[in-house]
Amino acid sequence: MSFGGLHTDHRAIVAVAAIVFFVLTLVMAVLPGLREQAIPASAAAPPRGSEAERGRQVYMREGCGFCHTQFVRDLPMDRPFGRPSRHDDYALEDPPMLGTQRTGPDLADVGTRQPSETWHLIHLYDPRAVVPQSVMPAYRWYFAEKDQAGSGDVVVPVPAGHAPRGKVIVAGPDAKALVGYLLSLKQAKVSP
Amino acid sequence: MTIDRLAIRTRMRDPGLTAAPSVDPATVRVMFEYVAWATAWLLVGTTAGLIASIKLHWPEFLPFAWLSFGRVRPTHTNVVLLGWSSLVMVGLALYVVSRTSRVPLWSPRLARIALGLWNLAVLGGVVTLLAGVNRGPQEYREWVWPLAVILAAAVLIDGYVAYRTVAARTLREVYVSNWYILGAFCYLPILYVTSYLPFYQGGLGNVVVQGYYMHNAMGMWFTQLALGVSYYAIPRLLGRPVYSYALGVLGFWTNLLFYPLIGAHHFIFSPEAWWLQSTAILFSVGMMVPVWAGTGNLLLTFKGSSGAVRRSYALPFFVVGLIGYGLSSTQGTIEAFRTANIYLHFTNFTVGHSHAAMYGFIVFIAWGAVYGLVPRLTGREPSPLAVGVHFWLALVGILTYVIAISVAGVLQGMAWVAGQSFIVSVTEAEPMWLWRTIGGLLMAGSHVVFAANVWAMRPQRVIAPAPSPQAARVPA
Repeated sequence: MSFGGLHTDHRAIVAVAAIVFFVLTLVMAVLPGLREQAIPASAAAPPRGSEAERGRQVYMREGCGFCHTQFVRDLPMDRPFGRPSRHDDYALEDPPMLGTQRTGPDLADVGTRQPSETWHLIHLYDPRAVVPQSVMPAYRWYFAEKDQAGSGDVVVPVPAGHAPRGKVIVAGPDAKALVGYLLSLKQAKVSP
Repeated sequence: MTIDRLAIRTRMRDPGLTAAPSVDPATVRVMFEYVAWATAWLLVGTTAGLIASIKLHWPEFLPFAWLSFGRVRPTHTNVVLLGWSSLVMVGLALYVVSRTSRVPLWSPRLARIALGLWNLAVLGGVVTLLAGVNRGPQEYREWVWPLAVILAAAVLIDGYVAYRTVAARTLREVYVSNWYILGAFCYLPILYVTSYLPFYQGGLGNVVVQGYYMHNAMGMWFTQLALGVSYYAIPRLLGRPVYSYALGVLGFWTNLLFYPLIGAHHFIFSPEAWWLQSTAILFSVGMMVPVWAGTGNLLLTFKGSSGAVRRSYALPFFVVGLIGYGLSSTQGTIEAFRTANIYLHFTNFTVGHSHAAMYGFIVFIAWGAVYGLVPRLTGREPSPLAVGVHFWLALVGILTYVIAISVAGVLQGMAWVAGQSFIVSVTEAEPMWLWRTIGGLLMAGSHVVFAANVWAMRPQRVIAPAPSPQAARVPA
């Protein structure tokens, strides 16, 4: 096909452009995707319970992944967040939430770094109750403000000044599920 | 062959640019509807962006579930990308296709149906994302699949309309604008469908596709349409041929060959295959060829026309947009290097880069084309003063925004590299987030002025029915 031929043939332009892009799509997206998909999950990865799985849905609903990565790089600055992430860490994640912004800290191993359920509940109710400089949204809609706790209620000990006076803060099901998910985020132990 | 080529060179230098005597009113109307709807989405998307921006330095601002940061942010990105930027570019592109082929748009009716589908998808996207219904934080493909199907249908219909219009052209050659525009309509459906099909997206496969998708959405869709429109509008407004036709074609092919190879540079240092990351970095450098071929070529078209730029209210937008193209792309290449990546990845620097590219390049080109083309079609002009206010608010706004957020990014990166407590990166960036909101307010103000200007340019009510494509065909 001559150069001049392409100039006058809209069919040829469209065909060549579409085929080239399609082939590059196969080479750069589909085939590497298939390769990564074939990697099995690490045997050491703990299974995620149904509560944590519901919590993962809450995590996605609230778009937590736009500010929190789950992706530890092999760089000195990432050491506080855990060991470097591996292929098999993500094998069962749908979708894996590596993220592109780290406005808040990485959460790949947050269940190990911060194992306290109470801390997480207070933090979700009002992040500034535990980290004064935080800019994270407060997820109050997952909590109930009650005059008195009922039986079986998970009462959140929010520090004075961060909750309405004379009320007890009770964690709702989604708050508990979300914390269950955060606590499930523990990097599988692997031999280096 | 030689004679043929010469004929191409001389005639292609001035393709359809010599104005055909009449413009099909149906084409004009549908183009304006695209621009008008796009502008409405611009206002919605800007509002979402402003709310998200304010929340970063005032976290208790609007503390409602539907307006929480994690929901407003994807609403902002999806509305400005798929609502505003896409629709305004498609509207302009359909017009350019029709003009450079010297025929009326093949089917304004189908184009209008596509616009309806497009609006439906974007509206559904706003509602679902604010309600928290999404596919997780997979940038620009957060919409649930039924909305994606509607959008894909709209893109295919618009692409078909553009294709049939070019096929019906009365010139032998396909003008370079149409290469870019038809290319865009080939690439986006492939890209979009690939990003939603699940068969190769298990585990990190998802991330490979994410890098491919979010990157190519820029270079294989927005850049293509913006260049396609520019290759028509700039020579048309200056009344002179494009500096080099061949450079335009070179840019088309090199963009196609290099751009799809570089998506993985969003996941440098990830466990993704190392060859994929290295290829991405290599061709990020290769991208300098199409970028500077395009920028240089179009800027050189201005050579000796500084008077025209001063007199026109549309051309300054193009000048900013082209400079924005060159600079933001070069910035992107630098960010792809592993060393730069250590300091800048995960920081707000990336947000600055995407705004420099989408706003400083694509959106300014869109505004230039709207101001340059719409008044001569509808016969109504906005007040030059209002256009000037729009231009300066937008320019000062985006500069404030990009500088503030880039400084924030560098501060974050420095704090991390220095091994400080994480919260230091938040407190150091926070004053810059306030500046980002100030820039954003200026940008938002310019958008309101733009919306008023679009209203001022609205077409007069057309009484005569639209002539059929055959009857309205103008001799070349």
